[in-house]
Amino acid sequence: MAFRARSGFEVSRGAQFLDPAVLGRIDNLQLLARTVVDGFLHGLHTSPHLGLSLDFAEHRAYMPGDDTRRIDWRLFARTDRFYVKQFEGETSANFVTILDISKSMSFGTHSATKLDYARYLGAALAYFSQKQRDRVGLVTFDQEVVDWVPPSTRHLELILHTLDRVSPGRPGALRDPLMQIGENLNHRGIILLLSDFYETAQEAVESVRHLRARGHDLIVLHLLDPAELNFPYQRPASFRDLESGTMIPLVPDELAEEYRHLIRAHTRELELLFKHSRVDYTVLDTSQPLDYALFRYLSSRQKLGRVR
Amino acid sequence: MGWLAPLFLVGLVGLAIPIVVHLREKQRRTVVEFPSLMFLRQIPFRSVRRRKIRHWLLLLMRSLALALLVVAFARPFFEDAEWAVGSTLGPTEVVLVLDHSYSMGYGDRWDRATAEARQVLSSLEAADRASLVLLGQGASTPVRSSSDPQRVLAAVDTARVSSYGTRYGPGLKLAQTILEESDLPHRRVAIISDFQRSGWAGDEGVRFPAGTAITVHPISDPETPNATVAGVTLRRDFFSGLERMTTTVRLTRRYGTEAVEMPVALEIDGQELQTRRVVLDPTGSATITFDPFTLSEPYTRGTVRLGPDNLLWDNELHFVLSPARALRTVIYEGVSPRADASLYMRRALEISEEAAFQVEVRSSTSIGTADLDAAAVVVLNDVRLPQGTAWDRIQGFVEDGGGLLAILGERSTWQSGMEDLFPGPFGPPTDHGPNVARLGFLDYSHPIFELFSRARTGDFARARFFRSRSIAVDPEHQVLARFHDGSAALIERRQGKGRVLMWASTLDSFWNDLVVQPVFLPFMHQVARYLGGYEERAPWFTVGQVLDLSDPEGSAFEDELAIDEEQVALTPGGGTVSLPTEETPRFLGLAEHGFYEVRPPGTNPDRPFTVAVNVDIAESELDVMDPLELAGAVAPREGPSEPGATGQLTGEVRARDQERRQSLWRLLLVAALALLLTETAASNWRSRASEKRL
Repeated sequence: MAFRARSGFEVSRGAQFLDPAVLGRIDNLQLLARTVVDGFLHGLHTSPHLGLSLDFAEHRAYMPGDDTRRIDWRLFARTDRFYVKQFEGETSANFVTILDISKSMSFGTHSATKLDYARYLGAALAYFSQKQRDRVGLVTFDQEVVDWVPPSTRHLELILHTLDRVSPGRPGALRDPLMQIGENLNHRGIILLLSDFYETAQEAVESVRHLRARGHDLIVLHLLDPAELNFPYQRPASFRDLESGTMIPLVPDELAEEYRHLIRAHTRELELLFKHSRVDYTVLDTSQPLDYALFRYLSSRQKLGRVR
Repeated sequence: MGWLAPLFLVGLVGLAIPIVVHLREKQRRTVVEFPSLMFLRQIPFRSVRRRKIRHWLLLLMRSLALALLVVAFARPFFEDAEWAVGSTLGPTEVVLVLDHSYSMGYGDRWDRATAEARQVLSSLEAADRASLVLLGQGASTPVRSSSDPQRVLAAVDTARVSSYGTRYGPGLKLAQTILEESDLPHRRVAIISDFQRSGWAGDEGVRFPAGTAITVHPISDPETPNATVAGVTLRRDFFSGLERMTTTVRLTRRYGTEAVEMPVALEIDGQELQTRRVVLDPTGSATITFDPFTLSEPYTRGTVRLGPDNLLWDNELHFVLSPARALRTVIYEGVSPRADASLYMRRALEISEEAAFQVEVRSSTSIGTADLDAAAVVVLNDVRLPQGTAWDRIQGFVEDGGGLLAILGERSTWQSGMEDLFPGPFGPPTDHGPNVARLGFLDYSHPIFELFSRARTGDFARARFFRSRSIAVDPEHQVLARFHDGSAALIERRQGKGRVLMWASTLDSFWNDLVVQPVFLPFMHQVARYLGGYEERAPWFTVGQVLDLSDPEGSAFEDELAIDEEQVALTPGGGTVSLPTEETPRFLGLAEHGFYEVRPPGTNPDRPFTVAVNVDIAESELDVMDPLELAGAVAPREGPSEPGATGQLTGEVRARDQERRQSLWRLLLVAALALLLTETAASNWRSRASEKRL
């Protein structure tokens, strides 16, 4: 039996643990991350994305100073040359998750809010990256940087703890926090930006452009609740902005279509502008299972690997 | 424009609320939290559009329909008569029942009542007919079913507060008769009264015809403190040959809130004799005894007057006194009587406070015309009954109205011819021996024994009768007392204008011991009064009573009024009532309180025949009843079909009456219904049109 997500991906039975509704019942974020990643990896056996190696990356010629234990003696036997095995884990990339914890991220119309979804995703990818021996880091921000966990191979526990206690509180902004983050990330690495991007597409792209300019590989996941995508409201009501608190009375059935049109145009514009900036951009529906997000991440990593 | 239920108009405010809320968009209290209004703000058009009312016509129709409903429930009516003319139901028989009992003289009640009556009359229309029923103890109709309101108005203006009490029965019955006789399609009764509870017994049997609208106009006061002269006791004493009267007055006060001090005056023949001051509690009574005064002249007028308050009618009480009238009694004894043969009778009659008995004892051998003409009562005390001329004189005496008591003793003998006067022949003396006879039956309904009808007022059974005579009573005569063996003891026979009593034993201490029993003295007084036709003259009468002056003989007026002379009565208000000669009944209706004088026309006697008349103090009880209770009791069988029957207060009742006559609410309801139907049709049409466009 297969579960069909809205995006059209078929999710195997093993991937049902990736459903945000199921994950929401797991209090321990580490357990959650392991469940997600292990389940995800288990599901990969039937996934079309086969061939992805987690260990071995390439051989290179032995250089003086290299650890002799890493010499591939079998290859030496065949070729009579010293080659050293180079593993992915040894790429020692920095993987930093930048998480938007502004008030708008607390919105959710089903079992998980956008922030919950982002936490699950952040935890899972941190765990995943840790398994790949990346140095993992975490930055949370709203209108300024809130938490800063510098990238390190030993910071997974701290990241999970930080993710566990984040709470949305203030209105958000992209430009200044991202500017500050970019200035403090000295080493190039992979940056995963999780946000709902309630700014104009131009401003959003401008905010992340300097990260890209500093050599970081940027993966942007645009988290949106299904209600933000489809605007299912029908009865007249007063809509209150979660961040500013302002209210406007609306008759949703009369403007829903226009809203959908505007949100589609917004995401389309973001996609276009990020593409031009060579930023991998994906819109995620928070009602979808996490595997889609993980696929998107791995797909992006793969593309980044090729590029690199 | 007036409103019967103006509070309903508050609903109009409620009508505006949805519109205001709509315009201010306050009705959407549902709040939806949304991450950001960034995109929603980009489409302000919908929000502004929402504030606009797109279907003005539908909104107006709905609002107007609801407004009409609200106004209809508020029961509007036009106070302006010109507006009201067009909405009347048709010609109406209007009966105005105006209470003019003396309680309506409390404060300014009468002014308010007449103003209310004018107000009712002002609402009459050209086709209406009106009657005025003045309601008191009886009822009168100064104007009956008149189409001229001015006549009724004039009758209202000339009406005055009477001295009568209140009885709703006659007045409402008269109104019922007028309504039943009316051929107009609509009927209406307006009752203007203080609605005293004492005037309504509840079983008057009045029921207005079907469809009659009843409006009540209560004229009352929130507080009605009232002091009343509740009664006067006049005690007659004889002192040194003079007759002394002691006046004791009982005063009451009700409905007050604090004690008051008021003067009480005793006036005799218009002169204030004594004045006392009395403190009356808010609710209480007091008794005042004035010093005795000497009564020497006939028809002495007396008045007890209590200090003024809001209701003057019950603050004075009038009475008329005359010196006591001696009742001459002649006792005939036989030849050589025992010494105490008439002793007990004589002594018993000489002891009296009220009726003065003038007792003379004569020998049966000297029955003369002079003695009989002057006597009121003749007693044949154990005598050999006379014959011939003497018997004829006695017969004539009785025929002319005299009273005869025949006491049967040892000497009494029956002779032929006596059956024409005596109730029956009597037999020889019967000696009862050791088994003495006792009185076993008394006719307590008879005036003689009525005094003893109550318990412990006299025990005749204690008297022992040793000897008596048996009487063969003719069945057509009445036995007033019997011995325990059933034999007659006292028999009455009416003969001519007089009365004959036959006593089957003696009235001394020889044949019985009745004379030493406590009941003997009052018994003898009752016998003498009854035979002499003595009637204690009432010191006063009550308004509403009717004096029958056509047959004064034997009555209290016998000596004062000559039946063969024309008389005229002067009323307390200065009016005159002609009392013609005996061919027509001489009834004098006592309609006013005060003193009535009766005298031959054109004469001015020094002391004319006078009667005092006082108001009925029952009217002083100012407790009121619920007007609706009375209205409900006399309403048509089908119930208060007209809204007017539920009126409560004067202004409200008038307004209710006008509203009922105009019935604007029906028109408003019809208009609202039509508007709602039109709105429904228009709304459906518009919806269909919108669907087609989509």
